[in-house]
Amino acid sequence: MSATLSAPVPAARRIRRRWLSPLLLLLPTLLVMAYAFIAPLATFFEYSFYRFRRGRLEQVFTLDTYSRFLFDDYYHLIIYDTLRMAALVTVLSLVIGYPLAYALHRITRPSIQRFLGLLIFTPILVSVVVRSYGWIILLSDQGPVNWLLLRLGIIAEPVALVFNLFGVVISLTHVFLPFVVFPIFTSLQRIEPELKEAAEDLGAGWWTTFRRVTFPLSLPGVVAGAQISFTLALGAFVTPAMLGGGRVFVLPLQVYNATSEINWPVAAVGGMVLLIISTIAVAGFNRALKYSEVR
Amino acid sequence: MDVDVELVGVTKAFGDFVAVDNISFAVAKGSFFSLLGPSGCGKSTTLRMTSGFEHPDRGELRIAGEDMAGVPPYRRPTNLVFQRWALFPHMTAAENVAFGLEAERVPRAQIRTRVGDALALVGLGEFAQRKPSQLSGGQMQRVALARALVKRPKVLLLDEPLGALDLKLRTQMQLELKRIQREVGTTFIYVTHDQGEAMTMSDRIAVMNKGRIEQIDTPQAIYDRPATRFVAGFIGNTNIAPVTIEAVEGGKGRVRCGALRFVVANVGAIRAGPGHVALRYERVRLGAAATSMPVRHEAEVRDVIFAGSVVQYVVILREGPLELIAEQSHEGGEPLLARGARVAVGWDAAAARLFQDEEG
Repeated sequence: MSATLSAPVPAARRIRRRWLSPLLLLLPTLLVMAYAFIAPLATFFEYSFYRFRRGRLEQVFTLDTYSRFLFDDYYHLIIYDTLRMAALVTVLSLVIGYPLAYALHRITRPSIQRFLGLLIFTPILVSVVVRSYGWIILLSDQGPVNWLLLRLGIIAEPVALVFNLFGVVISLTHVFLPFVVFPIFTSLQRIEPELKEAAEDLGAGWWTTFRRVTFPLSLPGVVAGAQISFTLALGAFVTPAMLGGGRVFVLPLQVYNATSEINWPVAAVGGMVLLIISTIAVAGFNRALKYSEVR
Repeated sequence: MDVDVELVGVTKAFGDFVAVDNISFAVAKGSFFSLLGPSGCGKSTTLRMTSGFEHPDRGELRIAGEDMAGVPPYRRPTNLVFQRWALFPHMTAAENVAFGLEAERVPRAQIRTRVGDALALVGLGEFAQRKPSQLSGGQMQRVALARALVKRPKVLLLDEPLGALDLKLRTQMQLELKRIQREVGTTFIYVTHDQGEAMTMSDRIAVMNKGRIEQIDTPQAIYDRPATRFVAGFIGNTNIAPVTIEAVEGGKGRVRCGALRFVVANVGAIRAGPGHVALRYERVRLGAAATSMPVRHEAEVRDVIFAGSVVQYVVILREGPLELIAEQSHEGGEPLLARGARVAVGWDAAAARLFQDEEG
């Protein structure tokens, strides 16, 4: 009896044992991913090589659609607009989000901190359609923002704040703010308070301490926030559709339009391009994250 | 005596908790001064008030003759070595050391030489380009020291900087710190709960307890003549026993502990009543050495603790009964006393210290 107990487990079985339970735990996710992501992607990929002519899909292999995306100015402009919108949203959410995160970090009363955290979280609680209509009302020619600017004499006549890139960027920034604020807040909270005291003790005032100690150490949060808001902005559809007024023609909108014309190849290639851009962006941000972390 | 740091009647409370209770002391220029006490005694708060991170509720704090009220940490002529060193993790050792000089806007060329000198002083010249994560605890400790010293502060404050190091390294760093202090001639104020550390390095020690200073003196004076029962118990290995003080005459006190009666010499201002006697382990003699002592009793060995260079005997005095620990140096060779052995116990009347119990 004791001999069988103490007998060494064969190496192969040990390895199998070590892999078995993680594999079982991953299985449901893997199945869902295979069915809902990999398989459609493969179909998608297949369609991207078909030909679409005179409103009809022909199952003929062609690289035509790809070459149009690569060489046609029309698609270049769409890609450029998409990237520009995502970049603007990212920069604006960082510019607004960092001070917010810093304020949240500096507030020491837990009750106020919780309340402010909830406040920052609210944009996510509202449906995207409702939120977009809200912004349309706020930013329209007769809306409160224009009214205030007119009354203050900053402008002579109403300016176009909505149904253009400006409106889209404002609204997207609003939604993505929590995704930027919380990673930055977390990395600020993780900085040892002693480090700020050490900087102060060594003769650094508030600004030097922030510039040389606090900010560099909060960079992982900044990069993480930028990554989330950039990739989310790339795929945003409803907001550009509702607040863009047809002037913000980004890739997701183009894909949507192509599908409604049953132009599967263009929709498929559009989706592929979006996927490639997102992948490159994520890889780039991951690299930046690695460098921003203290080694 | 040139005074670098002076506290007069300083009090600091956090809510209801009085962390520092009306303390006053002066630190001589160029000296090594320690604040010693158990955790929560107010020593760290005192240090943080000196560096400017906390502000006294009452009292005055002067550094080099100047009142420090309202002076922020970055404008004080002090620098602090933090308990866990607080090195900037994203900067190399050299960048850490240079930080304080850059904040002061010292010219570049001068920064380079001063950083080099400071790192050489702590013996870390070759490690200048390493990040803190690539340094050992002892090396980080040295970088923290160099970073503070490079600022040429009038007063260097150290908050238990050796606490996170292992014993061997700690002993080595104690000697190193003392050497550096002698070399640079800066006033050091050192906070520690480790009496050995304070004794080895300090010129003077302030022993703190519950926010108050119990005694300020040289290490030897504190060890030989503890001013209070707390100091006697906190520093060194001490037997402390409750006694009744029966009479005091001519500087001598006659005390009783159960059926045990003896005399304590040099008692100072003490009245009859309840009190405590403190007696260092190593001042209790056993066997032949006890017979020549003025205080002599019969005892039984309860326990033998052999620790290499010393042997400790737990003995019970039959009168009393009173349990004492006696420590003898072990020269090697001689046989140890056995458990249960009868032995004579004795001590010099001047070896014991007598403390009056505080009323209430």
